[in-house]
Amino acid sequence: MNAVEWYFVLAALLFCIGAYGVLARRNLIIVVMSLELMLNAVNLALVAVANFVPAAAGRGTLFVLFVITIAAAEVTVGLAIIIANYRNRRTVQADEYHDMKG
Amino acid sequence: MPGGDFHPVYFSIVAAWILVAGIGVVASRSVVRAAVSMVLCFLGVAFAFALLNSALLAIVQILIYVGAISVVIIFGIMLTETPAGPRQQFFNRQSVIAAPLVVATAVLVAVILVSGDLLTAGETAVNPGLRQLSSLLFNRYVLPFELVSLVLLAAMIGAIVLARREDRQ
Amino acid sequence: MELIVALIPLLPFAGFVITLLLGKWVLGKRADVIPVLMATASWVLSMYVFVRVVADPEYVFDWNAFTWISSGALETTWGFYIDPLAAIMLLVVGTIGMVVHYYSIGYMKGDEGYYRFFAYLNLFMFAMFILVMANNYLLMFLAWEGVGLCSYLLIGFWFRKKSASQAGKKAFLVNRVGDFGFMLGMLLMFLTFGSLQFTEVFADVGAAGPAALLGICLLLFTGAVGKSAQFPLHVWLPDAMEGPTPVSALIHAATMVNAGVYMVARSYPLYIDSHTAMYVVMGVGTFTAIYAALIALTQNDIKRVIAYSTVSSLGFMFMALGSGAWVAGIFYLLTHGFFKGLLFLGSGAVIHAMSGQQDMRFMGGLRRKLPITYWTMMVGALAMVGIFPFAGFWAKDEIIGFEFTHHLYYIWVVGLITAFITGIYMFRLMFMTFHGQNRSSPGVQEHIHESRPIMTVPLIILAIPAALAGVLAGWPPESGWIHRFLHPVFFDIESEPFGIVAFILLLVSLVIGAAGITVAWYLYLQRPELPGRLAARFPRAYGASLNKFYMDEIYEAAVIRPVIGFAGWLWTFVDTRVIDGAVNGLAWLWGRFGRLLRPLQTGRAQSYALGILVGVVVLIVVFRIVEG
Repeated sequence: MNAVEWYFVLAALLFCIGAYGVLARRNLIIVVMSLELMLNAVNLALVAVANFVPAAAGRGTLFVLFVITIAAAEVTVGLAIIIANYRNRRTVQADEYHDMKG
Repeated sequence: MPGGDFHPVYFSIVAAWILVAGIGVVASRSVVRAAVSMVLCFLGVAFAFALLNSALLAIVQILIYVGAISVVIIFGIMLTETPAGPRQQFFNRQSVIAAPLVVATAVLVAVILVSGDLLTAGETAVNPGLRQLSSLLFNRYVLPFELVSLVLLAAMIGAIVLARREDRQ
Repeated sequence: MELIVALIPLLPFAGFVITLLLGKWVLGKRADVIPVLMATASWVLSMYVFVRVVADPEYVFDWNAFTWISSGALETTWGFYIDPLAAIMLLVVGTIGMVVHYYSIGYMKGDEGYYRFFAYLNLFMFAMFILVMANNYLLMFLAWEGVGLCSYLLIGFWFRKKSASQAGKKAFLVNRVGDFGFMLGMLLMFLTFGSLQFTEVFADVGAAGPAALLGICLLLFTGAVGKSAQFPLHVWLPDAMEGPTPVSALIHAATMVNAGVYMVARSYPLYIDSHTAMYVVMGVGTFTAIYAALIALTQNDIKRVIAYSTVSSLGFMFMALGSGAWVAGIFYLLTHGFFKGLLFLGSGAVIHAMSGQQDMRFMGGLRRKLPITYWTMMVGALAMVGIFPFAGFWAKDEIIGFEFTHHLYYIWVVGLITAFITGIYMFRLMFMTFHGQNRSSPGVQEHIHESRPIMTVPLIILAIPAALAGVLAGWPPESGWIHRFLHPVFFDIESEPFGIVAFILLLVSLVIGAAGITVAWYLYLQRPELPGRLAARFPRAYGASLNKFYMDEIYEAAVIRPVIGFAGWLWTFVDTRVIDGAVNGLAWLWGRFGRLLRPLQTGRAQSYALGILVGVVVLIVVFRIVEG
C-alpha cells in the first residue's frame, strides 16, 4: 500500500461513518453533521490525490475549495429548512416527516 | 511540522483522531456532544490537510468548518429541542439494517481503491505553492469561482427567507 | 371543346363558392344574380355541346383533364366523356336546371336562406354535370355522392322544420344503402377488369366471367335503385317533397333521380351481356311502376301524388332498359324530365297561390284564377298519361308496345294497367285541384292569384318541349330521330320499321290512357261522392294504398327496431359489461399491483437514502463481477 491508498482507506472509513449517521440517526441536526463528515471524507481523498499524484496537482486543491464553499451553502440552507419545519411541526425527528408517501 | 511526504506515525495518530471523533458524532446521544465531536473531527481533518502539504486548505478548513459551519450548527441546536429518552429515541428502525450495509460499503470501497491501480502515485509531495493555485483559480477556473459566489448569495437569501419568522400581524 | 366542357361544371361551381361566401353579407337579395347567370351560361355551353353531337352522332369526346388517383394498378382521372347519351343528359340537366333557377327567383323570394338556396342549386348543377360527363365510374361516383349531398341539403333546406330535416336524413341514409352497392360494384369491377374507365371496361367485357359480370351489374343496379328510388329503396323520395318545390322539380323529378337510369344505360355493354341482370332490372322496374302508381291513387298531398308518379315513371324507365328497349327508356327519360319538371313547377305555383296549402282536398276550382298554370299543367298531365300528340305518348307507348312485340306479354299487361292508373291519378289531381268548387278557407281564397311572370314563363317554356319533344324526336315510333341519334351508344340495337302492329299497339295504349282519364272524370267530376263510397267499401285496399302499403312501417319493424334493439344490447351488455368491465378490471389490476408496491414509498427520506446505498453496493458488486 502506498501513501495515497492509506489516505483512501481513511477516507472510505470516515465516509461510511458519516453515511451510517445519515441513515440511522433520527435527529436531523445530527444527520446534517454526518453529511459534513461524508463531505470531509471526500475532501480528504481529493487532497491526498492532489498531494501524491503529479497529474492532479493543484486541481485537487481547487476542487476541495469549491466543495467547502458549496458545503457551507448547503449547511446554511439545510439548517434553515430544518428550522422552518421545526416551527410547523415542533420536531426535528427525521422519521416523523413522512407525509409524502403512497 | 513535517510537510508533504508520507509519514506513518503522524498519519496513524491523525487517522485515529479523525475516526474516533467521527464515531463520536454518529454515536453520541447528546446533540451537543455530537457537535463537539464534529468540531474535533474537523480539526483532525485540518491536521490531515496540513500533513498533506496543504497549508491553505488546513487554514480554510479551520476557518469555515471549525469556525463558521460549527457555529451555524450550534445555532441550529439552540433553536430546536431534542427530547431525551432511550436508544430508540436516537436511532431509527432501519439502523440495524444500515450497519452491516455501511460496513460492506466501506470494505468494498476500500478494496476497490486499494487494489485498483487507479493512479500512479509516489510517496513524495507534489502539491504546488499558493502562487500557482491562485493563478489557476483566477484564470482558468474564474468562471466556476464566480458561479460559486452566486450560489453562496442564493443560499444566503434562501436561508433568510426560509428561516425568517413570518409576522402575520 | 376542352375549355367548353371544363367550363360547363366549373361555372356553377364558381357561382356556388361566390354565393356561399358573399351571399349573406354582401349580396343579400341580389344573391340570385350570379347563380342564375352561371346556370344560363352553362345551359348555353351544354346546348353547344348538344348541337355539336347532333351534327355528328359518331363524334366521341374523351378527354382526361388530369390524373386524380394513381395508386398501384388504379389510375383514375378527372376525365370527361361526351357521346349522344351524355349529350341528351346535358340537354335535360342544362335546360331544366336553368329554368328552375329562374323559377326559384320568384318562388323563393323573401326566404331567409335565399342565398343558401341558390348556392346549393349551383353546387347541384356542378355535381350533376360532372356526373353525366364523367368518363370513369369513380368520378361518376364522386358526383353521384355530390348530388346526393345537395339533395340532402335541399330537402332539409327548411331545417327548422322537424319533418324537413328528418326527410333529409332519411334520403341520405336510404341512399347510403344503394351507394354501398355501387361501391362494391366498383370494387368488383376493378378486380375483374383492373380499370374503372368506361372505355377500358367496355372494351374488355368479353374477358369477364358471367358470374362476375352478373355481380357487377346487380351491385351497380343496387346503387341505381337507391338513387332512382326503386322498390324497395323508394321510401325516401316521397318524403323528399319536404324540400322547396323547385328542388322537387329539378332534383327529385327531372335530373338526379335519373342518374340511376343514366348509369345503367351508360353500363349498357355490361348489361347486354348479362341477361339475368337485365331480368332483375326489368322486374324491379315493372313492379315499382305499378306499385307506385297504386299508391299515387289515394295520396292527398299534391306533391306526393307527383312524387309517386315520378317513382312510377322511373320504374317504367328501368322496365324499358331491362327488357331491351334502351333507346325508348332514354327517350322516356328525356321527355319525362320536361313534363315532370313542368308538373312540379306547376304544383309549386298552385301551392304558392294557396298560401302554402298542399292538400288537394282543400283545393278546387283554380282553373279560372290560375289560367296559365292550369293550361301548362294540363299539357304536362296529358304528356304524363301519354295522350297523342304530347311527349309522353311517343316515349311511354313505345315502351309498352315494345314489350308486346318482344313477347313480354305479362310486362305489357302490367304496363297497360299502370298506364290506366296513371290516367286516373293524374286527372284526379287535375280535377281536384283545378275543377269544381274551391274548398279552402275564405282567407286563403282571397289571396289566390296567378304567379308573377318569373314563375309562369318557365312553365310555358317547359310546356313547349313537354308537348313537342315526343313528336320531334320520336316520329316515327321505333325508328325516329332519337333511335338514329343514340345508335352509336346502344350499338347492338336494331331499330324496326313502323308497321301496322306497332300502330295498333299505340292505339291500344292511347285508348287505355284515355280510359283512365275518363274514369277520373266520372269519379271526381260527375259523381264526386263515389270515391269516398269506394274507399268505405274496400277499406283494406284503400288503407293499404293510402299508407303506401305500410312500407315505412315494414322498415320500422324489419330494420329500424332490430337496429335500435341491437344498439341497445351493444350499450347495455357489450359497452357497460364487456368494455367497461375490461377497462375497470384493468384499472383494478393495476390498483392491486400498486398496493403491493406502495410500502416501498415510506415518505421517509432516510429509507430512500438507504435505497441509494443498497444500489451503490449492488452496482459495485456487479461491476466487480463483470470486470472479473
